[in-house]
Formats: sequence, structure tokens, C-alpha cells
Amino acid sequence: MNIQQFQEALFTKGREIGYADMEIYYVNGRSTSVKVLKGEIDQYTIVENGGLSFRGVINGKMGYASTEKLEPDVIDFLLEEARSNADILESEEQDELFAGSESYPEQPTYASALADTAPEILIEAALEMERTALAADPRIVMARHCSVSIRENEVLIVNTKGLHCHRRKSLASAYVYVIAADHDETVTGGWHDYSLRSVEEIDIADVAHKAVKEAVSKLGAHTIQSDNYPVIFRHDAAAQLLAAYTSVFSAESVDKGFSRLAGKLGQRVASERITLIDDPLMENVPAGSTFDAEGSATHRNEIIKDGELRTYFHNRKTARKAGVKSTSNASKGSYNGRIGVSYHNLYVEPGTSTLEDMIRKTDRGLMIVELQGLHAGTNTASGNFSLACLGYWIEQGQVIRAVNQITVSGNFFDVLQQVEEVGNDLRFTGSCTSPSLKLAALSISGS
Amino acid sequence: MIHPTQIQDMLQAALETGGDFAEVFVEDRTNGQLGMTGGVVDTALSGRDFGIGIRIMKEHFSVYAYTSDLSEQSLIRLAKSAAKAIRGGGAPGTHTITLHPHAIPNHHPIAIIPDGSQKRAKIDMMRRAHEAASQYDPSITQTSIGISNSIQNVLIANSNGLLVEDTRTYTRMRISAIATDGEHRQSGFRGPGAYAGTEFLENLNIEENARHAARIATTMVKAGYAPSGRLPVVIENGFGGVLFHEACGHGLESTAVAHGTSVFANKIGQQVASPLVTAIDDGTIQNAWGSLNIDDEGAPTQRNVLIENGILKGYLIDRMGSRQMGVPATGSGRRQSYKFAPASRMNNTFIANGDSTREEIIANTEYGIYAKSLGGGSVNTSTSEFNFAVEEAYMIRNGKIAEPVKGATLIGKGIETLQNIDMVGNNLDHGQGMCGSVSGSLPVNCGQPTIRVSEMTVGGRKGE
Repeated sequence: MNIQQFQEALFTKGREIGYADMEIYYVNGRSTSVKVLKGEIDQYTIVENGGLSFRGVINGKMGYASTEKLEPDVIDFLLEEARSNADILESEEQDELFAGSESYPEQPTYASALADTAPEILIEAALEMERTALAADPRIVMARHCSVSIRENEVLIVNTKGLHCHRRKSLASAYVYVIAADHDETVTGGWHDYSLRSVEEIDIADVAHKAVKEAVSKLGAHTIQSDNYPVIFRHDAAAQLLAAYTSVFSAESVDKGFSRLAGKLGQRVASERITLIDDPLMENVPAGSTFDAEGSATHRNEIIKDGELRTYFHNRKTARKAGVKSTSNASKGSYNGRIGVSYHNLYVEPGTSTLEDMIRKTDRGLMIVELQGLHAGTNTASGNFSLACLGYWIEQGQVIRAVNQITVSGNFFDVLQQVEEVGNDLRFTGSCTSPSLKLAALSISGS
Repeated sequence: MIHPTQIQDMLQAALETGGDFAEVFVEDRTNGQLGMTGGVVDTALSGRDFGIGIRIMKEHFSVYAYTSDLSEQSLIRLAKSAAKAIRGGGAPGTHTITLHPHAIPNHHPIAIIPDGSQKRAKIDMMRRAHEAASQYDPSITQTSIGISNSIQNVLIANSNGLLVEDTRTYTRMRISAIATDGEHRQSGFRGPGAYAGTEFLENLNIEENARHAARIATTMVKAGYAPSGRLPVVIENGFGGVLFHEACGHGLESTAVAHGTSVFANKIGQQVASPLVTAIDDGTIQNAWGSLNIDDEGAPTQRNVLIENGILKGYLIDRMGSRQMGVPATGSGRRQSYKFAPASRMNNTFIANGDSTREEIIANTEYGIYAKSLGGGSVNTSTSEFNFAVEEAYMIRNGKIAEPVKGATLIGKGIETLQNIDMVGNNLDHGQGMCGSVSGSLPVNCGQPTIRVSEMTVGGRKGE
């Protein structure tokens, strides 16, 4: 069955058994990915995959169920499970379906030429990336992972209140992760880039060279003495740290008592150098979107402005409960989740310092370029983190050597307050990004 | 799920361009998830995952394709488009594949198959957890409880004629408690689970698990920070086995070993750990969270001795690893779903019992960290640098457990840390976790008796 047929059959049957309103959230994607190793294709992956989430109001309550199978025999499963799920839900705040925004912004996110890229182009790009990486430095022993891929996906939300939202996106990406060795030491480094328009637009050689530089510059690493040091989180490490704590800005987390930012609207929660923006309407970024998971038209939101907390992320339900307007941040982790709250394209507004300036102005300190084990070493309730990391030791404004086998400890909320300098090196590589950030002191564990 | 002749046709189409092996993995999975925050049911989800993955190998190259469209035209199209990616010619398809269905013995009895009619009973169980956790201490300000279950039906067939089917049933309860003390907040977690049905929940001491989560939160919210630097560390039994999982287990997977990129590559027969360490990955433990009758390539799971008295004995090897390394597979090919090609993964990994008691280990430690409840971790298998989080820790002073400390992340390098294990207890136990890697997120057990590492880097805050 195609999606229109399935949706019509589902809504018809749903009405028969007493659903007042119903909605489908459907995602479908295609992708091709080529991974090469030692001059040969190592893995080739082809995907055609979709899934559908159903929600509907029955007996005054909303129930959810989802499926990847779009065949007539699943309709009863969806309707029955959603009904029994609605029956047991106890939240006082009910979800409700939305008829749609008055108008939706336009955003060019789909390039049919990209989606139709011939496999040979992906293969040749991946092979060239591996050749370039291996030739760039004699200490590179292997490209552990070297892949080029294209993907496209669509999202469709249709409900019985008249909502009809549809979008298509396409993306090409290249990723290489290399191993460098010198004497008995082994290090790794990776880089990636993307294009919303074509594979050819990605500078493959640049990706390879940057990955090589990342790896070889980590050679000669050893630990440092445990102490408090000035710390620069390079843009990528800063983005990793921010991404681990984004749930603290969610109105849902605030409402349920999981976030320390409860009651802090209008207050200074960060250094005045920090402005945190969620802008789904920015063009040519991977995480752009013109409507959220409830079908609300999206817009730019300032979460923190010059250090002051301006808003949480809201969907329609959290906004109604808080008596404010939705920020159009309704989310679905995957097609099969419930409606939650999340950001689209979140970033810290860049400052004026170059990373080189920030290093030059550091007398004795550490630049952290990679954080590890974030899923375990961060606590969103307390804000505390203690994380293994990699970086470089800086003395008198110069990078002296690489550092490994250390951890960095601190508290996310304190980090926000203590940012001394914000870099100008923001890169939109994902849905949560940051320029480099410099702090006066953080606790480092080493020897 | 799909008729065998259709699968035969797919496998034949897959080998038309010179591939030397083809495999089909069909999955039909039902998931149920209930959630309760602060005693109020706020999540009730049901889902049906359904799809097919096809893998074609030619020597050391593989193609993987998957779809959730199981119509006949789609399946043949999928097989043909995957076959098109096979390069370099070879003898094209005169293969005639005859599938030989065979029943596999079930080693994991399920007493109560999870279904939708049990939702209310499960909510009662969640409420018991909520009440036990919130009544544990006035500092507990919030709870979050979940019960999830899934029934995964798989059909695995390959061009060698294999055709097997299996049903995997999983049940897990997650209990989080948050304690608040002024501006400070801390959470505690317990997540018991099994390859079992709803009987697992009926036999579970829910209150004890809830109080355990609450105890972690309550203790840690008032704790000072752990010291930093190199210290002796005593790691408690059960999920403490995440140490071995990260420090060594991932480095023994053929995904890392076959290309020589793991520090454990080419070290069979060598001393890679203290002689006190014997470590095993056992996919056959009855009803254990990480067990399977057959792996996701259709091979029976095994008990694989990885390290015996400190000597490296074996690796975890899937079908592709077996080709690349020229050694037999170990029943370790696993994947989260049809959306992933299988890879060599752990099942239930643990360090075997030693001779010491927990009391002796603590009493023999002058000064150090007692890591009582562990969180997750990660590793870079190329460098063997690993890390994992300690959720509940205490100082050890003069051979006695002293004040609680928070923020004690532990880091190290694989072989160095394994060599530094200088006491092994006699109280083996297992904990449950989800392990994320190339072939997705999988249920695994991590287990060990209480052990001591003579020196590890503890990532606390500035030292005492």
C-alpha cells in the first residue's frame, strides 16, 4: 500500500471505531553509502526505509502507536494499541492535534541531482579521499573508516483537522577517520564535511588533509599533572559539551523537575558573551526545517541573549501549560516516539576572536579537542561532568604538545557563567554547534 | 514471515553478479514502552518494526541493503540493486539454492509472553517503584520509571542453505530517582532486564531496586567531589564488569582485530592481563539479557573463553571476521535490527571468580576509591583508551569504606589496566546494559566479582 492509501484506510477504520481526531507522522528515506578500505570497496549500503506513527483521540484521550509495515493487517494493531495506550495515560495535560499554521516559510532543502548521484561518483570520491589521506603523511597507517554517502528523506504529517505538512531533504556527506603511528604510539583522528547540493561540492582532499592533521598532531601525547588550568574548548568539543546538556532548556524537563533552569527565565544564566540561538530557517545547514513535529511553522528563537535566559524550548502542550506561545520545538526522536521537545539548529552565536588568538593569549593552559563517554560522564540533573578527553598543552601562547589520559571535570551551568571568550570559528556541521569557548579554569585529572 | 521460495529467489538474484555468499535477515518486532514521571503515567507507546536486510559477500567485500517494503517486486529489486554493487566479475549466477529449514533448540523458556493486556499490571509495578523510591528519603524530589518489552521474531537464511527462525523476548525495568539538596541535584539509576517475559518483573524485587536508585541519588547529592590523579580503585561486582567490556571486550571483536588495528591483535597466547584474570563471553546463559539461541547470522551462540589466567585465548568473530582472519566464527555476529549489517559483538561478558572476598579487598586497601555503582563508558579500540563513569563512589581509608564522593570518572588503557588488576573477588554477578557500536545498540550483560585495580586515573576534582 502506498502512504495515501494506508492513511485513508486507517482514518476510515478509526472513525468507525470512535476516534474523534487522528494524525499520521510518516518518514521515509533512501540512502547509498560507500565505504572503502585499502583501495577497494569494503562496504556498500543501500537503504529504502520508512515508518509511520499514528496518534488519535478516543474517549477524550490521545493514544499513540507506530509501525514500519504499511499493510492492511497492521491497521487494527495501530488502532487497538493506541486506544489501550490512551486509556492508561494519566497526564492531566492532554496533547491535541493542530490544524496548522497560517503560512509556512520556504526553504530549499532538496536537490534532485544530489539524490540521483551515480554510485561511481561516490566510489571515486571515497577512494580519492583514502588515497589523499594515506599520501599526506608517512605516519598514516590506515584509513580506519572512509566513506561517502548520499541520503534523502521526507516527512509527511496529515491529520483530520486539516493539517498537511510535507518536506523533502537531501544531503551528501564524506567522513574519514585515520590511524597514525610512530614508534610504539597509535593515535586516531577524523573529519567530515557535507553538502546539501552535490557530492562534487564537498572538498574531499580538504576532508582527508584535516583528518590527517587531527591524527598526527596527537602524536607524542602524554598526560599532565592534575590541577586547575585555563581551558579552551575547541569548537567541536564545545559543541559536544553543549549537545549533552540541551535537555536543560526543554520546557518539558523544566516542568518535570529535571532541569536546574526551572524558574530562571529572565535571569542571567550565562556569561554576557553567550547568546544561544535556535534557527531552523537558516539556509544551507543540515538541520534546517520549516515545520516541527506538530506541524507548527518554525522560526528563529533566542534561548539565551547576552547571558539572560529568554525562553525554554516549547511544543504546543508545554506552551499551553506555561501560558506562552509554542516556540515550534515539538520533536520526535524517531518516527516512533511520542511528541517531545527539542531544538532544530542550535548554536552559540560566534564572537570575534580567532582560535589562534585565544591560544596566543593563554600562558599555561589546555585546549580540549575531543570529549569521550558523554553518554555516561555527564549528569543533566546536576550539570556535573567528568569526562575523558584529548587536547593540547599550551605554554606562552604556543601549542607545545598533545595531551592524553586526562579527564576534565566541572559543571555545565558554571561553564556557561565562566566563558571568558567566544571564538569566531562556528561551523554548521550538525544540529548543535558552537564556536570555540575559553574558560578561566577547570579541574583536570592526570598524573 | 516470508515464503521460503521468495527468499530462495532473492538469494539467487543476489548471487547473479559474482557474489560468493548471500544472506537474508527478516525481522518482525513488537515493542511496548510505558513511562511514569513523578507517579503519573505519561508514556505509553506500542510499535511494530518490520523489514528485511540482505547481505552479499564477495571475498572480503560486502554489500548490505535493507527495506521495510516487503512486497515481492521490492524484494527482488532490493536483491538486484545490492548485486549490482558487486564488482570485479567472477562466475555469475548459476547457483541453485535449496534452503533447509531446521528448528533450533530453545534454551531460554518464556513463562509469560508480554502483551497489551498486561499494561495495567505493569503500571502497578511502576507505581510500586515510584513509591519505594520517593519514600526512601525526603531529598528524593522526582522519579522516572519505565518498563519496556519487545518480541523480536527473526528469520535468517543464506546461500549455504541455512534457514532458521527464532523469537527473542526482552523485558526491562528502568528506575531513576533524583535527589535535590538546595541547588544540587543528583540522579540514581537501576535498570534490571532479562531475555525473558513478564515473569521477570513478577519475580523482581522492585522495591529493592527502587531503593537502590534512590540511595545513589541521596548519597551522591550530599557527596563532595572525588580526588583526581592515580589511585587504587576497588570496583564492585555486577555491572562493574563494564570495566572489562570497555578496556578489553571491544578490542577483541574481529571488527577491530581483523585489520590489526586493536592493541589485542596478534597477541593470542600472550600475557595481556594479570594472571588473576579469566574472562569469558557467554551467549548461552539461560534467560540472561545478552543471551541468544542463535546469533544474527544464524549460528548457535557459544561460551567463548577470551582470557585464561591472563593469557589471551580468543577473539569474538563474526562471519566476515572469520573470512578475513581465516579462523572459525564464534557465534558473535549481532545487529540491533534489519537496519544494520551484523558485526562481531559481545553477549554476556564477565571476569570469572577469584579467591578473595569483598571484605578482604577493601581491608587490604590503605587509600583509594570504592566504585560501587557503575555507569556506561566508551573506548577507542585503536588506541585502547577507555573511560567509564562511576555513579556511586566512596573513599577507602585505612582499609575501610569512608565518605561518599561524586564525579569519579575512571580512564585508562586496555592492557595496562588489565595487568594492574591485583585482587579478584569470589562474588561474580552480572548487570545489564545497552552496548552501542557499528551494528547498533544491543542488550549485553557486563559482569565480574569485586576486583581491585592497583592504579587508575580518577577524574575527580583537584586533589586533597
